[in-house]
Amino acid sequence: MKMEDMSLSGLDNTKLEALAQDIYSDLVEDACLGLCFEVHRAVKQGYFFLDDTDQESMKDFEIVDQPGVDIFGQVYNQWKNKECVCPNCNRSIAASRFAPHLEKCLGMGRNSSRIANRRIASSNNMNNKSESDQEDNDDVNDNDWSYGSEKKAKKRKSDKNPNSPRRSKSVKHKNVLLGPKPCCRSGSSVRAVER
Amino acid sequence: MSKDSKMRATINQKLTEMGERERLKELLRSKLTECGWRDQLKAHCKDVIKEKGLEHVTVEDLVVEITPKGRVLVPDSVKKELLQRIRAFLAQHAT
Repeated sequence: MKMEDMSLSGLDNTKLEALAQDIYSDLVEDACLGLCFEVHRAVKQGYFFLDDTDQESMKDFEIVDQPGVDIFGQVYNQWKNKECVCPNCNRSIAASRFAPHLEKCLGMGRNSSRIANRRIASSNNMNNKSESDQEDNDDVNDNDWSYGSEKKAKKRKSDKNPNSPRRSKSVKHKNVLLGPKPCCRSGSSVRAVER
Repeated sequence: MSKDSKMRATINQKLTEMGERERLKELLRSKLTECGWRDQLKAHCKDVIKEKGLEHVTVEDLVVEITPKGRVLVPDSVKKELLQRIRAFLAQHAT
């Protein structure tokens, strides 16, 4: 931008520069005045010195920089070495492993294969019962047992579906080529289908 | 001279009307805050207030103490940038 080439009516470069300086000066003064008014109001309204704390309080809340302690001065791995007793199996478990252990132990978490455990437990019961009842009707009882457990298994499976996200997995495997999936995990697969 | 002052008046008017003055003000404020100018001056204000007394300090006191220091404390980069923008505006609209 060469100002020498431009023809300006009345004003030459020095005057323009002077004008620019004046405008700049005005702007700076404006900023200063703004600050003064702000500060003055803060003083008169009493909130100017609010963010200054006295030395004592500053010392109380100083950032702590010691090993083994967080910046507030609290010990943060205090509970790492504590042990809890599981109410289910009465074992002593480390605190940080307690929640996952409970999940598996009570059979209530996502990966706790509760059905399998229950099936094993119930099949053991039924096995014992049928054997004790009649040994002649072994076949009959066997059929009953296997059918019963299958029925139970199927029931359990359909039971499981509405609650867990695995429902979408089984749908996925069946209908790979159909349109967009109802589940929300299918970021990449939706794109693949749309192509 | 009056032609000059007329010219100046016209340009100032244009500056305000086109919103450029406001934009420049905002730009200056944000740049000054970023570079710590405000905090510096505020600290200086504290000294002035402690000197004059919290109850008795007036706007005039502050203005007289703060403005000259404020002008000086503006960093060169900020000054350059603003002057550049002003010159650009003048080059566009001063004909």
